[in-house]
Amino acid sequence: MPKDDPEITKLKNELQSLIQKFQDAQKTAADTTLETVCGSMSDVPKIRMTTKKVLKGHINKVTCCDFAGDSRHVVSGSLDGKLIIWDAWTGNKVQVIPLRSAWVMSSVFAKSGNFVACGGMDNMCTVYDLNNRDSSGSAKIVRELAGYEGFLSCSRFFDDKKIITGSGDTRLTVWDLESGKKLQEINCAHAGDVCSMSMSSDQNTLVTGSVDRTMKVWDMRDMTCQQTFFGHESDVNSVCMHPSGFAFCSASEDKTARLFDIRADQQIGLYRPPTSNSGFTSSGLSRSGRYLFAGSDDSTVHVWDIAKAQHVGNMQGHENRITSLSVSENGMAVATGSWDNYVKIWL
Amino acid sequence: MVSMSTERKNASRPTSSPDINCDRLQNNGVAKWNDNNKEKFQPHEESPNQIVYRKMEHIVERMQDENNGVPVKTVKNFMTKVPSVFTGADLINWMVRNIDVLDQVEALHLAHLMAAHGYYFPIEEHILTVKNDNTLYRFQTPYFWPSNCWEPDNTDYAVYLCKRTMQNKTRLELADYEAENLARLQKMFARKWEFIFMQAEAQSRVDKKRDKLERKILDSQERAFWDVHRPVPGCVNTTEVDIRKACRMNRPMRNVSLRHHSIGIAGGRLSPPPLPEISASPAEQLQKEIEALRKRIARTTVKVSKVSEAQISFAEQYKEYDPFLVASDPPNPWISDSTDLWDLEKHAKELTNKRVRRWAFSLHELLNDPLGREHFVKYLEKEFSSENLRFWEAVQDLKQLHQRAVATRSREIWSEFLGTEATCPVNIDSKSLEATRLAMDNPDRWTFDRAAGHVYHLMRSDSYSRFLRSEMYKELLTGSRKKTSVKGILAIVPFSNK
Repeated sequence: MPKDDPEITKLKNELQSLIQKFQDAQKTAADTTLETVCGSMSDVPKIRMTTKKVLKGHINKVTCCDFAGDSRHVVSGSLDGKLIIWDAWTGNKVQVIPLRSAWVMSSVFAKSGNFVACGGMDNMCTVYDLNNRDSSGSAKIVRELAGYEGFLSCSRFFDDKKIITGSGDTRLTVWDLESGKKLQEINCAHAGDVCSMSMSSDQNTLVTGSVDRTMKVWDMRDMTCQQTFFGHESDVNSVCMHPSGFAFCSASEDKTARLFDIRADQQIGLYRPPTSNSGFTSSGLSRSGRYLFAGSDDSTVHVWDIAKAQHVGNMQGHENRITSLSVSENGMAVATGSWDNYVKIWL
Repeated sequence: MVSMSTERKNASRPTSSPDINCDRLQNNGVAKWNDNNKEKFQPHEESPNQIVYRKMEHIVERMQDENNGVPVKTVKNFMTKVPSVFTGADLINWMVRNIDVLDQVEALHLAHLMAAHGYYFPIEEHILTVKNDNTLYRFQTPYFWPSNCWEPDNTDYAVYLCKRTMQNKTRLELADYEAENLARLQKMFARKWEFIFMQAEAQSRVDKKRDKLERKILDSQERAFWDVHRPVPGCVNTTEVDIRKACRMNRPMRNVSLRHHSIGIAGGRLSPPPLPEISASPAEQLQKEIEALRKRIARTTVKVSKVSEAQISFAEQYKEYDPFLVASDPPNPWISDSTDLWDLEKHAKELTNKRVRRWAFSLHELLNDPLGREHFVKYLEKEFSSENLRFWEAVQDLKQLHQRAVATRSREIWSEFLGTEATCPVNIDSKSLEATRLAMDNPDRWTFDRAAGHVYHLMRSDSYSRFLRSEMYKELLTGSRKKTSVKGILAIVPFSNK
């Protein structure tokens, strides 16, 4: 360890004192806990959610799933190289889209239901138009967005013409789908792979989670990082914005799920299941924000009441780890995709 | 380099007792692999998999208990004896009696999960699943348990498949997928195939010396082991790691200052972790960190008590719109098996009180609902302030336009709303106006975003709040209330519910 010269020592001391100041400030701000304030709220009923529909059709692990804006259609991507669009109510497959690369890690629906985007180990994001077919009869590829140096881990549509993606090369990129050009690119958005992202309903705020254990909140208008949140002890696998837009939940490899508030700039909830064995891979919040769902490596989805910080149940039925979870827009159902090749609809 | 089993010398010859217990099997579970593999026997530290394996093994040990476990017997089948098996039904019954499971369905599910990891297996099949009937199963020897952190490589698999082909027994014939695998491996290891062949020969020589029943058992256990690590195509491989994490194992994360990670924890550690090694330009790096921290401290944050209250009010407000808390009306399509909900939404002309009240939550909610938007437009027209909403909507529509039309449309928008001779001028601050004017040199879809944001804010604070206090809105509230039934009113008027 090289000997520090006086300037560096001075800086280090300054840093230490600032750290101390910051921690004190945080403690004063944390004048109470969420559970205490919510003490007067009525308890919510225990979750007895069961599988209402099993969407069978994939022949390999399902790695991602997403509800459409109509809360009826679901897109799921699997390592068998197919994207399937389901009508979740009847259980029928509306479309099957064969992919050029089987290693798909992310698939999302545009809110309008006209487009789906997917990508993965092929380091590309491919956007399909569901209303137009190409010569072979499957959905037409509208855009193939290339230029990533790492795998595509997550993406979100702003609208039918704009999409933002997070990738393994630690970048966030915003694309204009019509011209196929990058509108904005943030290099080193995180210190490690960007694993997951979630947008607020007014599309002004984005929260991203990464393997560097942090979560960042971005202002979409000027694409700057507004805040960084710490607290997790291992990879943050999934983040989900609270419907109010002022908080978000996260699920991590460190076997906890947490709730962070953007205005208070700190963690306000920590949730562990009763038998804490496995990391969490995916998360979601109910329409009122009261329930937090987290899909886990132990094949169940754990549910907590965030106000009382109580574990209110878990959803069992999958036979292998849950890879993705999506709550429908109107809050009526939860879709989960798992390594057991099925997508299940719960309510 | 062939190693003979050292442990075999210690093993006692098994008697014809039907209950061959684990210990003996372990001794006879020959160290067929090279001595190098012995290091792999040490289980790793507390990885999550190990915790789960320990739990499963605890249950399996109970199952194998001689007195209270699952009844294991030797079944006589025509001319042959099937040693050391139990039926699926016995297994499920035992589980229901001895483990905390709700019912047979859950027991079956749990049994299936444990089979998938290889703790017991069906003797006739490659697919590791459990059926609640007279299908026969056998326990896996602890030597082959997943907790021993086997990561058998393709060479071992090749030796195993090769050995199978050397033995002329029908029950040892290769399945289709195994034959394919063998062909593939032969290609892969073409150069060292002799070595593999030699090993296979040596192993089968050792096997031949063993007692027939014992061989049956060991062969089946070895096959089950490979069913776990090289599963039938189409089956789940429980030994697999998420490919995203697997990618990272070879790529170390960038060296970053993780010092601040302790700060974010509410009431977290007081002393920061030891300072990491400082790379080039240490002074600069420190400076940057100091700056970042200063900014964080300077930022105004809200107290947790306040945000908690905000959370509560949000949750309460949206409680009845959360189908998990309050059953929706018309009912959830998956529960009622009818698509009433979606059909009604499509043709929605009727105003329920619930719907009207939602408009008061935020401007976003109001504009989201097409009927709400219609009423708002009518109100604005009465007040002669509809240009704000029209401008905002024009900007949103611009974003959806085809590239070709963007330039012309933006000029139209400019001349209609923002220009000096605008037909319907909107009121925005001079800064935004200047910025937009500059951007008009290269108009694109997002030129007006800043101005639109300003207008939205104005609408929200001015027109929207007046709308909520207006006679029109009040009439909508009461009018819709009258339409609902008595039952509906009881649901609306909030009773304190505990």
